[in-house]
Amino acid sequence: MIIVPLIILIIPLIAGAFYKSIKNASVAGAILEMIMLIPLYFSLNYKGFFFITRINFIFILMVSSVYLMSLLYSRKYIEGIENRGITEKNYYLLMNFFYISMEFALMVNNYGFMWVGIETTTISSALLIITEKNDASLEATWRYIIIVSAGVTFAFISVILIYYSFHTLEVTAIIYRSSTGDLPVRLAVGIALVGFGTKVGVFPMHTWLPDAHSEGPAPVSAMFSGVLLPTALYVLYRIYEIYPMPEIFVWAGTVSVLFAALFLTYQHNYKRMFAYSTMENMNMALIGIGTGTYAGLVGSLVLLLAHSFGKAGAFYSTGEIMKISGTKDINNISGFMKNKIVSSSLLISSFAVTGTPPYGTFFGEFLILYSVITIHYYAQFIIILISIFIAFVSINLNVSKMIFKGDYKYNETNGSIIPLISGIIAIFIGIVFLVIINEIL
Amino acid sequence: MNIIYTLIYLISAVLVITGFYIQGNKYLRSMVLTLAFQSLIIAIIAFMLGMMLKNYTFIILGILVIILRVFLVTYFLIKRIPRSLSYVYEPRVSTTYLLILDLIFIIASIFIVYSISFIKIKTIIFPVKNIILFPLLLFFQGLFLIASRRRTIAQILGYVEEENSLIILGTFLLPVPIIIESSVFLDVLILVVIFSVISIEKNVHERMEELRG
Amino acid sequence: MTSPQCQRADDVYLVIPMIHLVVETLSQYLFVILASPLFAGIFERLKAIIESRHGPSIFQPYYDIFKLLKKETLISFKSTRLFIVAPYIAFGIYSLIALIIPVFMSRPIIFTASGDFFAGAILFSAAAFVKIAGTMDSGSNFSSLGISRILSFNFFSEGTLITVFFAVALITGTNNPYVTNNYLISHPLSNLSLVHIFAIFAFFMIFIYESGRIPTQSEGLQEMGMIDSGIDYEYSGKLLAVNKWSSYIKQYLLGSVLLNVFLIPWGITNTFPDFLLNIPVMFLKWMFLIIIVLIIDTTMAKLRLFKVVDFLAVAFIFSILFLILTEVIG
Repeated sequence: MIIVPLIILIIPLIAGAFYKSIKNASVAGAILEMIMLIPLYFSLNYKGFFFITRINFIFILMVSSVYLMSLLYSRKYIEGIENRGITEKNYYLLMNFFYISMEFALMVNNYGFMWVGIETTTISSALLIITEKNDASLEATWRYIIIVSAGVTFAFISVILIYYSFHTLEVTAIIYRSSTGDLPVRLAVGIALVGFGTKVGVFPMHTWLPDAHSEGPAPVSAMFSGVLLPTALYVLYRIYEIYPMPEIFVWAGTVSVLFAALFLTYQHNYKRMFAYSTMENMNMALIGIGTGTYAGLVGSLVLLLAHSFGKAGAFYSTGEIMKISGTKDINNISGFMKNKIVSSSLLISSFAVTGTPPYGTFFGEFLILYSVITIHYYAQFIIILISIFIAFVSINLNVSKMIFKGDYKYNETNGSIIPLISGIIAIFIGIVFLVIINEIL
Repeated sequence: MNIIYTLIYLISAVLVITGFYIQGNKYLRSMVLTLAFQSLIIAIIAFMLGMMLKNYTFIILGILVIILRVFLVTYFLIKRIPRSLSYVYEPRVSTTYLLILDLIFIIASIFIVYSISFIKIKTIIFPVKNIILFPLLLFFQGLFLIASRRRTIAQILGYVEEENSLIILGTFLLPVPIIIESSVFLDVLILVVIFSVISIEKNVHERMEELRG
Repeated sequence: MTSPQCQRADDVYLVIPMIHLVVETLSQYLFVILASPLFAGIFERLKAIIESRHGPSIFQPYYDIFKLLKKETLISFKSTRLFIVAPYIAFGIYSLIALIIPVFMSRPIIFTASGDFFAGAILFSAAAFVKIAGTMDSGSNFSSLGISRILSFNFFSEGTLITVFFAVALITGTNNPYVTNNYLISHPLSNLSLVHIFAIFAFFMIFIYESGRIPTQSEGLQEMGMIDSGIDYEYSGKLLAVNKWSSYIKQYLLGSVLLNVFLIPWGITNTFPDFLLNIPVMFLKWMFLIIIVLIIDTTMAKLRLFKVVDFLAVAFIFSILFLILTEVIG
């Protein structure tokens, strides 16, 4: 069934062809993409040029839904921007390309093309950051391009080494072979951790992440945080499958989670705060994948799924706050209680991304911690637990400061409904996923 | 050893020297042209290998490098060097300091890489000598160029240098399928175009208060 | 890596009659001491001809030395004995180097066993140190200025010198310069190897710097450009003559190492009466080197003083790269 993935890749292109009415065409395309998930579900376990399994189906589901929500949210948001770096039509065109490159990286059955897909996401999303043009966003774009490209280029060594060891790049041909763990293979996996880890936000290479997230427009930040980073993580997972190396993956994740938590303690820009929260969540998922256990994998998937909706909601809410207040500084914002829609969506989504009990992120983190214990990594377990606690306290303290403290200084009492919807989906989706995972997937 | 192997061996050493030359140079135009020269050397190596091994993949690779790297990338970069005199060269570059730091950086990286024993990876094309040292040296030079310079154009040069080193690494180890290789070329080309969009607005990258922490 | 040459070099004393060795040793020493000013003279004359001047005679360095030997020596009342002794010690050190590296014969002579390549490199540094210490002793401001210049460049040049010798030792598996020379003669392909080419570059750049040629320093007419001659400010008469002479010897030694070990290791004869042929051979080799240096000297502009560090840094980088390549590629 090569036809379904192909259609998924072509629809946004067709939408882009209607350049004059691209705004509506893109939304229509995104809705069609959601519908296309149904035939895609029935073509699971297809192996050919594309490779669809239960795992990347979940990723595709995430990407499609966040893309749809981002497009809907962009309709009003982008119109309100005064000093645009790219025109509105080009914004939607680049969004479409961005989406295609992510879907391509997720579906393709070839490590080389996965690399190409990830590199293309950088290229197509770079200019999206300067939609709100100012000096800081230009600088952030540049840092994003140069750091991520340099890192992903490093990952190409890993692709070369995989080809060198197996004489093929096809994923299905490699992962079902029991790997001997030769030196080139081990090296390839390690280099991929550094290379693709740059895009996932692993500690020393994470520096682009807060800049790009804080300077991009809200829908783009939501795409970055909600689905772009998980896409890179998926590629990393596929390479990890060749030869699992739990030791370094779990340590890399642990150190990154710790540093993300430490960075979170002194943030005063709420978008940067959510960016570091993304770094924390992504590395939790990396740890879950890195443990190599089934519980860890399921935990990571739940975490990513719930996080993508929650974080999208959080970034859309920051977009609303930014529009109403005109500042990004937490200390200048107070009393958002008066604005019911914005404050409730912000609260719901910030609970979602910090792993508060009813949300999927909580179950995800629980499963990941459980799997860390089952492979006897006690030191890592303690560090992760402390870090999660620090992150939870810092984010929720800041959010409650913005909502409950002080007076509301603005007239606007309305807000977009999309962040609220996204936050509410985040509540259910994790539980639903956990209940039905063994039934339908 | 075959005389062509020896020649390729000597030529690939020139790659490392061009890396140092770009690193120590402060004139942007000259840096760009040196990079074009570096790409040309890569194309020549690919041609030589292709001729010797009777493998058309190398020839296509060489042609692609010449068209995309030597001409197109250079054209876009040269066009983007601002006309005003203050951008002709990068001030506050201390050549000695940068060269020595570069040397320390690449030696440290190489020793780390080799302590993870890259040395045991025998190339298929070059069975005898450890030729992948040159691409690795070039790769770390590209990384250092990005880290050490503040001008937009110098940083993108570092990135293209890295990509160059990957092509040559792939060529020496085992050529990756040409379709993937050519998408890599296109990626770089588009990135250079994006660079030329951004460099209209912003040419120097300093620390910013908004992007701290 | 013990090659057959290595053993031959060690056993050489057993085979050759003592009288031959003594004659060879004496001729090498005397050739270095006596002929070294001549090459400087030839260089100056050729340079003058290219610049359309008549120029001094090629024997001018000798005339200078003789004239200075006859002159009165002035010594600052603040300086100590070190000031007077230093030039002689430096001359002695250079003489010792002349005996332990293959500058004339390519076969070990009597004093060869007293040191290896390293000893050569470190003796060069020791001589420079002694000269500097002596000059500092005069307490003159001008000298201190000159010396601070020298020292701000020497840390690169001497580092490079030692690194190059180190790497040559790694290629040939020995640090005996005579064995190295033999090795390169018998393995012509090694001359084409990458490491060897890097070494030539680095060593040539150091030679240019140490012999005070133009991209780095210029002596005589433009005083601002000089680096090494800063040492001579306070010296006069006999001491100045000795100082000048030792710097001619230094140039000759470095140039001959460049020629005999790196560039053209061939052409040296070792059998007893024929070794006198080495005199014309060395002249020919030196003419070759002088012409190369002359081309560089007359076509290039002098670098600004702060650029000299860059020049030396490049030499240093070549030598270090060379070391890595030797180590990693082997």
